[in-house]
Amino acid sequence: MGLNLIDQQIKNKKRIRLMTHLVIGFPSLDFTIKLAKLMAKNGADFIELQIPFSDPLADGPTIMKACEESLLNGTKVKDAFKIMKLLSSQVSIPLLFMAYYNTVFKYGVKKFCQDAKLCGASGLIVPDMPVDEENEEHLISNCRKFRLCNIQVISPVSTNDRLQKNAKVASGFVYATAHQGITGAKNQLESSLEAYLKKVKKYFSVPIAVGFGISQKEHLEKLAPLSDIAVIGSAVINVINLSNKDNIEEDVKNFINNLKIC
Amino acid sequence: MLIPSLEELEKIYNNAKKDPSFKKEFNFLLKTFAGRPTPLTFAKNLSEKLGAARIYLKNEGLNHTGAHKITHCIGQAILAKRMGKKRLIAETGAGQHGLATATVAAKFGFSCTIFMGEIDIARQRPNVFLMEQLGATVIPVTFGNKTLKDAVNAAIKYWIENVKDTHYLLGSVVGPHPYPVMNCDFQSVVGKEIKLQLRKFEGKPPDYVIACVGGGSNAMGAFSAFLKDDVRLIGVEAGGKGNQVGENAIRFPFGSVGVVEGYKSYFLQNSDGNLQKTHSISAGLDYPGIGPQLSLLHDTKRVEFVNVKDKEVLSATRLLAQTEGIIPALESAHAVAFGIKLALKLPKEKIIVINLSGRGDKDIFILAKAFKDKKFMSFLKEYLKDV
Repeated sequence: MGLNLIDQQIKNKKRIRLMTHLVIGFPSLDFTIKLAKLMAKNGADFIELQIPFSDPLADGPTIMKACEESLLNGTKVKDAFKIMKLLSSQVSIPLLFMAYYNTVFKYGVKKFCQDAKLCGASGLIVPDMPVDEENEEHLISNCRKFRLCNIQVISPVSTNDRLQKNAKVASGFVYATAHQGITGAKNQLESSLEAYLKKVKKYFSVPIAVGFGISQKEHLEKLAPLSDIAVIGSAVINVINLSNKDNIEEDVKNFINNLKIC
Repeated sequence: MLIPSLEELEKIYNNAKKDPSFKKEFNFLLKTFAGRPTPLTFAKNLSEKLGAARIYLKNEGLNHTGAHKITHCIGQAILAKRMGKKRLIAETGAGQHGLATATVAAKFGFSCTIFMGEIDIARQRPNVFLMEQLGATVIPVTFGNKTLKDAVNAAIKYWIENVKDTHYLLGSVVGPHPYPVMNCDFQSVVGKEIKLQLRKFEGKPPDYVIACVGGGSNAMGAFSAFLKDDVRLIGVEAGGKGNQVGENAIRFPFGSVGVVEGYKSYFLQNSDGNLQKTHSISAGLDYPGIGPQLSLLHDTKRVEFVNVKDKEVLSATRLLAQTEGIIPALESAHAVAFGIKLALKLPKEKIIVINLSGRGDKDIFILAKAFKDKKFMSFLKEYLKDV
């Protein structure tokens, strides 16, 4: 189901697809629900729901602070499953969990995958779990068992060997970071991006999502011929941070509508 | 993101291990720059005062920059040079590892950036000043608990963004492979020296080796030579102010297995896997994780873990200063505090080696405050008036 939903979502549309992102519990659980629905309604094709973690290594200051605030608000992992369950029954686009491995590990890898599936998640993005550890940790096999996409994350410094290793186990799509670095909105895309994404295309048969630093319509226009999905993360949180509480929904809606390209 | 860099480091390190010229350069610098071997001192006065077991002190505080950290810094700096890196970065808690990194950076001609929690900067300002004098940039880490674990996070993030020209000189036996193995190998010289030196004093191995444990680099260094011998190995953790969450850094028994900062080990974490706040009077032990090798040695019961409270640490610092003429770093004073307690329970013929991982110069402000030294405080006030 998870796999099919993601496949369909990519095949059905001609334009570059948009994956938006929310940190669960930021600025509150209520807002997570409201914003996810609003994103689905206004053209997001996927939503990445990040479970807040105390030490989010791949995240820049924006998402890091959002995680910190969410945890201070008291967000628990069980809230993330509740939200996934609620949202998956109310929106028709695929929802994915983004979590750091310790969150998954502590919950129990098998149980996490099982419950994620039961709650209607389509896939998992676990950026700090290298494929090399599969024999010990069994994340990929449990994703397969419960028919969840296990989204592999690659970067411009990934060697050919590593791309090959990741391509072998990739499902749903592959998440290519637009630059070697951490998350956070940037003004410009790197000039080497085109060559890098062309290389990624050679190795992977699954669609390519590009994230990290993507924040503007121009970025999406540039990415459209090179990839299948653009991921907007920190940029949305920046919008939330700059909004008055009463205007958050309106501002996020406008931001997403302004991003869309035909 | 980091796997290619870790693989590069592993490869360079494995090649270096087989290369006699690496060993030669490393040993030469240990001898002529770091000041190795450090002495093993019989703590005659302390042993007699306690009237119990014989206590020896491995005085790592006599290393250049004041602690054992310089040893793995020299090793990694040689590797960084071989990899053609231009910059060294490091995390630091008490500032000892940052100071040692800034020192080798100056010596080898690297530029240097040190990440240090805001709270640690506030309590270890003298080391910050020294790092800056050595030409390093010290970046305050303002997120999370603003202590060592956050400095590690900040350093990793910086490294992710600058892998091409930067070597992350991680300062303990934590983090992803090959750091724990590599730093343990570099530090193993400590245990080897203890073994040789004690043989000259006593003609036999010790009954106990005691070391404080933050991440565990000094402990692994001291223990590694004795793992196969009939020697009891004891790691001393930061008991802090009490047993409540956030009051200590006692991984055993309060920690549980997790995967954080690129390694699988015991961590102080809640049921959701989020790391918990820690506390210790010593910045170097104020850390929720512990090296994976020590976790294994805990699980196989080869190393025993105990902890002592901040107050006991302060008393031990004073006692060692006044009986032996050595002011230990607050981290190392944890090992001293437990060593004293243990010695009192043992017969006179037993031999205890305490690894004094560092000297206490850096802690002068903390000690003066803790001992409520009015003269020192009025000196500070006067001094401030002057500036």
